[in-house]
This record gives sequence, C-alpha cells and structure tokens, in this order.
Amino acid sequence: MYVYRIMLFLVFGGYLLSPLLMNGWSDPESAWYRPFAIWGGLIALTLWLEQKRKLDER
Amino acid sequence: MNVEMNVEIVGVLLLGLGYLALLFGCGFAVERGWVPVRITRHPMVYTLALGVYASAWAIYGSVEMAANVGFGYLAYYLGAAGAFLLAPVLLVPIQRITRTYQLASLADLFAFRFRSRWAGTLVTLVSLLAVLPLLGIQVQTLGEAIDIITNSQAGASVALLFCVVIAAFAVIFGARHSQAHGRHDTLLTAIAFESIVKLLVMLALGAVALWMVFDGPSDLQRWLEGPGAVLQQQTPQIDPARWRTLLLLFFAAAFMMPHLFHISFAESLSRHTLLQASWTLPLFLLLMALPVPLIWWAAQSVNAQLANAPSVNTEISIAAYAAYLMTEHWWVGALAFIGGLAAASGTMIMIALALSGMVLNHIVLVAKPPEARSDLYGWLLWLRRGLVVAVIISGWLFYQWIGRYHGLIDLGLAAFVGMAQCLPGMLALLYWPGANRNGMIIGLVAGVSVWLWGSWLPLMFSLPTLTLPFTPFTPADAPPWYNVTLLSLTVNILLLIVISLFTRISEGEKSAAEACSVDAVIRSKRFPLEAATASDFPAHLAQALGEEAASREVARALKALNFTPQERRPYALRRLRDRIQANLSGLMGPSVARDIVDRYLPYRHDNTPETDDIHFVESRLEAYRSRLTGLARELDGLRRHHRQTLAYLPVGLCVLGDDDELLMWNQALSQLSGISGESVIGSHRDSLPAPWSSLLGSVLETTSTPLYKQAVTLHGKDYFLTLHKAVLSGHDSRGGSVILIEDHTEMKWLEDELVHAARLASIGQLAAGVAHEIGNPITGISSLAQNLRYDTDDPALLETADQIQQLTKRVTKIVNSLVGFAHGGRQAALLPTTPVALSSISEDALHLIHLVRSGEDVTLTNETPSDVVVRGDAQRLTQVMVNLLSNARDACDQGGRVHITAGCHEQLAWWRVTDNGQGIDPRVRDRLFEPFTTTKPAGEGTGLGLSLAYQIINEHQGKIDVASPPPGQPRGTAITLWLPLYQQDDQPAHAQDSDC
Repeated sequence: MYVYRIMLFLVFGGYLLSPLLMNGWSDPESAWYRPFAIWGGLIALTLWLEQKRKLDER
Repeated sequence: MNVEMNVEIVGVLLLGLGYLALLFGCGFAVERGWVPVRITRHPMVYTLALGVYASAWAIYGSVEMAANVGFGYLAYYLGAAGAFLLAPVLLVPIQRITRTYQLASLADLFAFRFRSRWAGTLVTLVSLLAVLPLLGIQVQTLGEAIDIITNSQAGASVALLFCVVIAAFAVIFGARHSQAHGRHDTLLTAIAFESIVKLLVMLALGAVALWMVFDGPSDLQRWLEGPGAVLQQQTPQIDPARWRTLLLLFFAAAFMMPHLFHISFAESLSRHTLLQASWTLPLFLLLMALPVPLIWWAAQSVNAQLANAPSVNTEISIAAYAAYLMTEHWWVGALAFIGGLAAASGTMIMIALALSGMVLNHIVLVAKPPEARSDLYGWLLWLRRGLVVAVIISGWLFYQWIGRYHGLIDLGLAAFVGMAQCLPGMLALLYWPGANRNGMIIGLVAGVSVWLWGSWLPLMFSLPTLTLPFTPFTPADAPPWYNVTLLSLTVNILLLIVISLFTRISEGEKSAAEACSVDAVIRSKRFPLEAATASDFPAHLAQALGEEAASREVARALKALNFTPQERRPYALRRLRDRIQANLSGLMGPSVARDIVDRYLPYRHDNTPETDDIHFVESRLEAYRSRLTGLARELDGLRRHHRQTLAYLPVGLCVLGDDDELLMWNQALSQLSGISGESVIGSHRDSLPAPWSSLLGSVLETTSTPLYKQAVTLHGKDYFLTLHKAVLSGHDSRGGSVILIEDHTEMKWLEDELVHAARLASIGQLAAGVAHEIGNPITGISSLAQNLRYDTDDPALLETADQIQQLTKRVTKIVNSLVGFAHGGRQAALLPTTPVALSSISEDALHLIHLVRSGEDVTLTNETPSDVVVRGDAQRLTQVMVNLLSNARDACDQGGRVHITAGCHEQLAWWRVTDNGQGIDPRVRDRLFEPFTTTKPAGEGTGLGLSLAYQIINEHQGKIDVASPPPGQPRGTAITLWLPLYQQDDQPAHAQDSDC
C-alpha cells in the first residue's frame, strides 16, 4: 500500500507541477526533448514501483 | 486532370482496402489458430489494444494542438498516462467490480451501483451524445485526408465505403456472441495490430521529419535556436489552469470512454496485466507523442509561409500532413494515411462494440424486456449486430452533416467534456458509499445540461456560443470549452454531494455501494431461496428466458462454480443465484438481470432470522487478502490465525448459525466424519448425512451439555462421541452455536479393557486359591497311593498306585504352574539369583499352553539345550514364555509350527521363540510392548502379555529383540530374549527400580 501512496503522491504532485513542462516550447535554452525525458523517468519509476509491489504481495 | 484524380482515388481505395484486408487477415489468422496463443494472450497485446486510446486525434489532432498550444498537446497523452499510473487504486477496483458482477460498460456499472435502470439509461445517453463527435472525428480525418491526397471531394464517399468494411469487421470479429463480457482474443489482437501500425507510422513520420526534412537532431536544434525560435515564440502558450483542466478531461476519458472502458474491464484480463499496463501504456503513449512536435516543426520548416499565418486555423493539421506531400515522397503521404486509417478504424470498431452493448442493455432491453423465447441468444445477437452497424454509420452521418464544418479540437473537446460528466459519479461509486442515486442522477443531469447548452448544441446546430451563468467568475479570455467544463463539473459535483447528504439511500443501493466501495464493510445477509435445489433453477428461470436459455445459463453458472445440479446447500444456492445474475448481467445488462432474478429466483422471507453471511464474507476477505493494508491487514492476519487455530484444533468443531446453516467444519471433524468441510459448509443441518444431522440436532436442543459418549456408527465402526455446546450470544454477536465433538471411543475401549483385565485378575486369584485348595487333597491322594504301595505286593495294585502317583505329580505340577503364573504379575523385590535351566522352563510353559483348548493344530517344539542355565526367577520366566508361546500360537494358521530354541553368546543366553505365523502388524510394531496393545479381537486379548514380558525381562537385566519376519523366512516372527548366564559367584543384588 505504501507503493500506492507513492504513486498517488507522484500523480497528484505531477498534476500540480505539470504546467512547468510547457515552458520549454518557446525557450531555446532548454532541450526540446526535456518533457519526454521527465516522462520517461516517471515510467521507469513506475516500473520500479510495480516490481516492488509484486514483491510486497508475494 | 480528371484521369489523374481518378487514378489517385483508385490508389487511395486500394491502399485503404488493402490495409483493411490485412486487418481481416490478422483476424482470420488469430481465429484459425495460426497465431500462437502465447502471443494473443501476451500482456503486451492488451497494452497495445489499450493503445486504441490514441485515435485519429493522436495522428492529426495532436499536431493541430501542438500548433495551437505547443507542449499543451501533451495533455492528451499525460492525462491517460496518469489514469493508468493510478491503476492500483483506480482501475483495479473497477476491474474487481466489473468482473465479479459481469458488468461490461460504464452504464452497467452505474445501474448496478445506484440500483437504478434510469442511471444506466442516462449514462448510455450521455455516452452516446459524447462519443458521437469523437466518432465523427475518425471519419472526418479519413475523409479530409482522402480529399487532400486525391485533390477531390470524393473523401466522404470513400470514407463511407471504409466505414462499411470496418462495420463488417466489427460484426464478424466482435459481435459473434451475444455476451459482451469475456475476452475476445481475435478482436484484441487485431486492435493491437492496429496500434503497432499507428505507432510505427508515427515513429516513421518522426524519423522522416528528423532526417529527411532536417538533417538530424543537431540540424533541428540549430533550426529551433535560429529561424524556428521566432516561430515557436509565436505559438500561444496554454494557461496552467486550462492545462490542468485538459489533463482532467483526458484523465477521465482514458477509462470512461465506452471503448476504453470496454477494453480495460469488459475483456477478461488478469489484474496483473492491468497493473502492468500502468507503465507499458504510458510508454506506448510516450512513443506516440514524441514525433508530434518533430512533425509540426518539419511542417513549419518546409512551409514557413504556413507557420507565419497571422492566425492559426483548424486546417493546420491537414496542412502539416500536406507538408509531407511536399517532400515529394509519395510513400510519406501513404504512411500518414495508413496511420490515420489504423487509428480511426480501431477506435470506430471498439466504440461501435461498446456503444451497441450499452444501447442494447440500457435502452432497447429496458424498453422491450426479453420474453421467454426459444431464440433468445440469436435475437440478442442480431440486435447487437444491427446496433454495431448503426453506430458506425451514425459516425459517418455526423461527419457528413456536422463534423466537416468544425475543427478536430472543437469536436474532440466537446466529446471529452461530455464524458467527464460521469467522473463525479464514478469517483463516488468507488470512494463514497454515502452517495445515492438521487444525487448522482440530478448532478449528472445538471452537468450534462450545462454541457449540452454550452458546447454540444452550438456544435450540432452551428449556433454561436451560448451564454452560461457564472462565466464572469472565469477569465475573460477563457475559451467556451473551459467555462463549460468548470461550470458543468462544479454543478454536477455540488448537486451530487448536497442531494446525497439530504436524501435517503435505499437498502439495496447501500449493499451495492458496499460491494463497489474500495473500503467497504461488507455484511452480506443470508436468506434461504424459494428453490430447494439447483435442479429447480431452470424451471423458475424458463418463465423469463425460455427453457433452452434457462438450462444453458444454469448449466454455465453451475460449471463456473463447480457445483452439481443436485446441490442443496443454501449457501451454494445463493452463490448460484448471484452467478446467474452476473452472467445475465453480461448478456442483457444489470437492470434487466436483476429484475429477472428477483422475480423468478426470489428469496424466502419467512420467520427465519436474518443473519450475516459470514462464510461469504470470509471467502471475499480471502480473495482480497493481498489488497489489505495497514491495520486491516493486521486484523486479517489475526482473523486467519484464529481461524487456523479452530481449523487445526485436534478436537472436532462445527459452528451453526441461528438458522441452522453450517458455518464451520474443522479438519478434525472432517477426519472423524469422513465429510470434507467444503462439501458441507453452507448447508442446512437437516441435509447432513446420518448420524450428524440428528446428533447435532440433539445437542442443539438439549439444555444440559455435554452429551457424554453418544454411541454412533461411522464407516461401519462403533464410535462414542462426547458433544459440548456453547451458544454464541452477547454484544455484537452474530448468533449461532459452536459445538465441540470429542472422540471418546478409545477411552471407552480402554475402560472396557481395564474392566476386562480386572476381571481376569480376579479369575487368576480365584484360580490360585482353587489350586491351593486342590493341592491338599492331591497331597493326600499321593500319600495314600504311597501307603498302598507299602501295603501290598499285588503287582496290579502296585502298578495302579504308581499310576496314581504319576498322575498326582502331574496334577501337582500343573497346580504349581498355575499358582506361579498367578503370582507372576507382582513386581520383584530383589534380582533373582537362582540358576534356572531354560529347557525345564520351556517344558513347563509348554505344559501350561497345552492346557488351553485352542490352537491344538499348531505344533509346538521345544529344542532348548539342557545346559543353558540363566540367573533368574523360574516362575516369572515361565510366565514370559507362556505369553510368547500363546502369541506365537495365535499368530499361526492351521498346521503352523512354533519352535523354542536357546544358546549362549559370551556372557548371555539367548532364548528364542520362532513361528511361521502372520507376523506382527506394522501398525503396532512401534508400540508392541505398551500395555493394551493388541491386534486380537475384543475379549480375546488383554494387550498385557508382552508388556509384562518386557517388564520381567527388564528386571532380569535382559533385553528383547523382535524380528518379523525372521531372517531367512518369508513370514512369521522370532522373539529373542537375552538373559545373563548363571555364574557360580553370583551374589544377590538389589533389584532395579521399575516404573512400569
């Protein structure tokens, strides 16, 4: 369940902070793929939490 | 020009039909089993099928959004990714409910939870109205793409042809069975195939943009920092509040849109697969979203004039598409067209299947309930197929009449805002058991009214945006969709909460709320059914479904539950009823299913006390165990511990409810009765096999417990059972009685054996007394015979006197043996030190054995050498040998042989009795020398003989070896006694203390 709480925290935290993602579009200083890199990191984190959940439920 | 146009139209037709033929081929390949099951059932197929979320909007609409709001287009992908990231707390509970109650759609779920057919109908209507623009988008993108490629106005006609082919596919592979719930491997695999196609197309288009339009990533970066920077700064940025609203809309759409709900929950997929989608679907969406800005930047780069347009118009996505055509590679255009077709066809197929089920269950069947007809399944199937075709054609009509006059963003947002109206009800369904149907329906109607007024009606009738109340509270430049979303959801949520708080919730709704709620406290009640056995069900149901369908549904439910038609247990009949209701719900929706079951399989509301269905609650707790957390998990652990304590109690235990329904039957009782707990738990006491029904009835009726040593016959043997009862009463008790059943059979047998042994002991004492009394007259007779010898010389008389003396000696010897045997059971005070010849003891024992008139056909042979002399007590050793010989003779069959042999080995003598009898029963071998161990029938053996022998040999500092069978013999037993040899210098010593 702690895993689920982390997930809830991540999703709602991401929901609130997500407007920051859009700043990169018109900002030539930041890499255009930055939002995708953050998104990829979030997927990796979810995969890790999913593995942890499996162990937790065993 | 016309010829060229016709060639292009034919080319597009061939391309589209070729792709759809490939889709049909994929479907046939799966159906024929040419594709291995390990592929069609792979979790990745499910993830890719969920990729149907990425509709034509993802191919064309996203580019349009990127042009309008920059990275704001990501809301479409991130909203859905967020919903799946929350799968464990959001999607898995929904999957649990839909699977348990066979609910195939959002309308089914609402009708089930709010116990209202109106709720189902309302959600169906909302879904229908909301999805229509989305369906229109799919056809519209096809039509417009065809128009642009062919530079003609033939798009609508060609799109209609494609729609017909897509409808045929949906009917053939998706509506083959009348049951909406259940996994359709063919369909899922085909949709997964479409997802692969559109993903590859998007990645290919991205690659074209990056390496053909630009010269790689560094060139793109240069362009973005150079000429592109100005263009990007001209792109309007979306306000954070609107971005969050968009996220919320797409979040809701990801699991509530009819087609996505259908794939996520109506297809029977494992919980593990759904959880795996929590990261695999976001990954798929990431790959789909990644090429979008590249495509748009490429379009801007190729046609700077287009990007410099003063106002961004709704044609930009198609213009971006056209930009690729300008690269002069025809295959780029073909790729984009195939990607759009794959996205549109997948979405249309799934929307048609999902909506047809909803309309059938919540509009058609509610308006015209199914009658008892022989072709019920066929009727439902053809209705469904007709609706599938109607839904797809209505999508084309929407495009033709309305959609083509609007942009993709306007159409899409109208659909997503409409569907989001069901979000408050859905969240209440999962997390607020206090919400009721009044609140939900009124909230939904109000929210939908705002949406219809502010968004849908202007779209349908090309009206100017209608003024909404409260819009002064929103920013002045806020777009209509934003105002409509905020106002409709606010009204919806407020009314749901306020009306639910101030109106009553019915009992039925309360139980459904508990069944749906994530943190429900489930207290199911149990009532008996009118039907007495499972075999009665088909006749009851036939009144509604017809005989054939009723028999089929009952057989299906029985098979699923692994019950037989003879099932009588009330618990099992309740489960059967629930299963039939769930199966019918999958067939014709929860409202109709509940009506049928309530009417034709009713509960019996007589004077039976209402009690909690504890067994059902326990089985559900077991099923959800891995999902319990924190204190609930601790409490469940305690519950399991206490349950195991009772289950493994070495005493029989059963628990009966106040209505005499059996709630527990532990392992010890299963072993004693030979009846497994699974077969009787949930049954009524009366239906238990004899003698349990009457036995438990007698203990329940009596006021004075325990009932001691009740004689019963189990498995053909006599048992004596003692029953204790305790009535479960007091505060927070759920009633019932707990009964302990102790098997006192062995104790009773021991008591009988002790009485028998005491009787034997009395007889032994009597025999000793009689022997003593006989001794005196025998001595007198012997003396008189001696005198007779002295008083006569008559040879005849002398011979008679000799015979009398020999006979009296023999009698004396027998009497002495009897006296000695009778005294033999006493504990020796001192170690025996007298020399004893084993041959004479063997002879004495044989004499005694011969006195017993049984086993006379067994040959007993004494081969003991006369020179084997041990230190011991002759009488007690005689008793040992008598016991050994008696056992050996009893073990022999007719004509058996028993040998007594002896010899010396170092300081010890061995003395062996060998027989060729049946041998020792392996069950008693380990406790051979324990008192009362016997294999003889009751009354024939005390089980004390070998115990006494062991005790006596132990007192002689000897030991006993047992070999059964003896070495070198196929059967029989050899018992060898080891005793110390007699030594001349043996001195008396203290006897060992013995606690035997």
